[in-house]
Amino acid sequence: MMEQHKAKNTEEILGMANNLKWELGMGIHDKIVSSLYADAAQIARKTVSMDGDQPAFSLDRKIDRIVTSRWTGFPIMFVLLAVVFWVTISGANYPSGLLASLLVDTLHPILKSGADSFMPWWLSGILIDGAYLAMAWVISVMLPPMAIFFPLFTLLEDLGYLPRVAFNMDSLFRKTGAHGKQALTMSMGFGCNAAGVIAARVIDSPRERLIAIITNNFSLCNGRWPTQILIATIFIGGMVSPFWAGLVSTAAVVGVAVLGIAFSLIVSWGLSRSVLKGEASTFSLELPPYRPPRVLQTLYTSLIDRTLFVLWRAVVFAVPAGMVIWLVSNIHIGGLSLAEHFIDWSNPFGLVFGLNGVILLAYIIAIPANEIVIPTILMLTVLVTGMSGVGEGSGVMFELDSLASTENILRAGGWTLLTGINLMLFSLLHNPCSTTIYTIYKETKSAKWTLIATLLPIVLGFMVCFFTAQLWYLFA
Amino acid sequence: MEQPVMALVLGLVAVGILIWVFWPKKGLLARLGKVRMSSQRVLLEDTLKYLFDCEYKGIACNLNSAAGNLNISADQMAKLMAHLKDMGLVAFEGHNIQLTDTGKSYALRIVRVHRIWERFLADETGVQHMDWHGEADIQEHQLSLDEANRIAARMGNPAFDPHGDPIPSTEGEIPPFSGRPLSSLKEGEVAQIVHIEDEPHYIFEQLSALGLYPGMQVYQLDVQQGKITFAADGNECVLTPLFASAITVQPLPKAEPIQEGYQRLSELQPDETANIVGISSYCRGLQRRRLMDFGIVPGNSITAELRSASGDPVGYRILGTTIAIRKDQANLIFINNIKKEHHEQSA
Repeated sequence: MMEQHKAKNTEEILGMANNLKWELGMGIHDKIVSSLYADAAQIARKTVSMDGDQPAFSLDRKIDRIVTSRWTGFPIMFVLLAVVFWVTISGANYPSGLLASLLVDTLHPILKSGADSFMPWWLSGILIDGAYLAMAWVISVMLPPMAIFFPLFTLLEDLGYLPRVAFNMDSLFRKTGAHGKQALTMSMGFGCNAAGVIAARVIDSPRERLIAIITNNFSLCNGRWPTQILIATIFIGGMVSPFWAGLVSTAAVVGVAVLGIAFSLIVSWGLSRSVLKGEASTFSLELPPYRPPRVLQTLYTSLIDRTLFVLWRAVVFAVPAGMVIWLVSNIHIGGLSLAEHFIDWSNPFGLVFGLNGVILLAYIIAIPANEIVIPTILMLTVLVTGMSGVGEGSGVMFELDSLASTENILRAGGWTLLTGINLMLFSLLHNPCSTTIYTIYKETKSAKWTLIATLLPIVLGFMVCFFTAQLWYLFA
Repeated sequence: MEQPVMALVLGLVAVGILIWVFWPKKGLLARLGKVRMSSQRVLLEDTLKYLFDCEYKGIACNLNSAAGNLNISADQMAKLMAHLKDMGLVAFEGHNIQLTDTGKSYALRIVRVHRIWERFLADETGVQHMDWHGEADIQEHQLSLDEANRIAARMGNPAFDPHGDPIPSTEGEIPPFSGRPLSSLKEGEVAQIVHIEDEPHYIFEQLSALGLYPGMQVYQLDVQQGKITFAADGNECVLTPLFASAITVQPLPKAEPIQEGYQRLSELQPDETANIVGISSYCRGLQRRRLMDFGIVPGNSITAELRSASGDPVGYRILGTTIAIRKDQANLIFINNIKKEHHEQSA
């Protein structure tokens, strides 16, 4: 009885509320917000005292006039970003070499012989040659550039400059249905795609944020720059006279990076007009006042939050991958290792796309980190060609100091100029590394968008490689 | 692959097939979706909706007008009506067709789903205001009442759809139709736009292009044969009676007409300050809340501060913060009282 009475009451109240809503009309929400502001302003007038026109603000305006000017805005932006990239690439060289010689050249043999003394050969192979080496590689290639790039980037952000970049770039991105802040996540992606995906949090509009996340992989990340530079130097620089080699191969790498930006814009355009058409979209961009950057805090947060966080995820994924790499090249069925079986089987398929079985296998087992693709390719090539005197044995990734010997191995593996070009394209257009995939899932909480972000670039990559290869076969 | 030409052709064909299947709106998948839609049930429900609309607005309706509304032949409509009568949803009184009580509550359920979906599209998604009605026409036959109720509850049980129509309550209640067509307003009368009819589409498109939306104040200036002149929030508009009759207004006998016109924020030049009058009701949901959060509410003042290197967006200063707003958004924000800001000199 009580229950029924109550239920009837609730319905009555809801009905009354509905009637009142109809009477009040549509604008009620706006009126409430306006009156809130009016009240707030009144309270502020009574209680807050202002000290005149702040001089800092007029300095801000002067700086803003320069960095957002039609004439100087874009040049300043390109110069600043170029300096950041240059400092990163040139500054990371030395510490990377140091880390590699420590972790790979010195520590690896010591650990290996130590482990061999009490472990069966296969266990030390899995743990030291597989897991440890993959981890060592990822750390030595990934840590220095990130430890330089992220603090620099964060400093620019803290200074207040990055929102102005988004402000200037917005009209380009608006035409593709994206947000100006995607310029920032894209630049961040050149450092690391996983960090770029996390950085997309600054975009508060749901649709634009998804676009930024899905297209971030088209920014050529730190892990892929070395691959591009190596292959461009060997195959494209090798085509011309030594005098022009440096310039031509640099142009090729920059060309691939620019192609990535173009893909990023085209795919943004396509996404916002197809699958993401109905997603809610807002645009807002605050231009905060400039302020002196807090250097120590920036260093701390960018090292802990960005660098170590991303590095940790990469290491977690690299360790099992290292084990898999060792296992596929050491488990033999009918006289051939699993790796060789797969390579023999997939080689014809790879050739249709101007690649080969080794590259396909390397991209499958090196999903955790783009950094270990080249070492894996070298190891696998030596494995299948049966070359002697190079490398460290099956399942042990390596890199060579001299370009010429790297080139020898690749040529022996049947590589041509086309293989080189298509590897560069495929390195740009393939699935994100597993760290990034996992990060995309964490950020979107959606299996659907993660799947799209993973499959879209690889489908594009196969398409681009296919047409490049077939046109090449047609005319060459 | 030995024959690159063959491979290239195959590759192009494969890409072509993919495009043909997935192309939005015209692709195979989209077409299959449309074919599933035009079933008997859809026609029955659309007829009920039409009959309800006539009854609600007090317009007499017959077989021919119903057939015209659904774009089918009178014969087909006669068959549909017979079917509806067998189901006990309509009753005939001579030439007049009336909904039975069951028929009316069925129609109200559809109207509720339709308007909730329109409101959902307007507030929670990025679908353009031109597409709200068409999308809701499809969804109203697919979404169950329960699902619609859950969506409504999530949005805080809204009372109006984005065109200004009341949403029937879960009990099937709806306030009586009030208001008159704009064409019936006499010279000198002040009223508020409460509804803009979303059908036919070309009229709705034209009225939206003029910037007319529910909530605006209208002040009838001049009524002539074939031409109606009025001020909408102070800006003069001219419409033919056909177009004016698509606008429903509620007279406001005591209100003063808004004298001063408004301009759009996009017209504000750098270093000019203005008063905010309001935000168009086509800017809704997340976007509207965001703008209001920044302080874009009637009465606040706003200054255009700097143009980005590419000209769009423009940075505006409001409540001591600089906010970048894109041109197509600034077009939806109304301002008046534009003054030159003497900032440089005083600093």
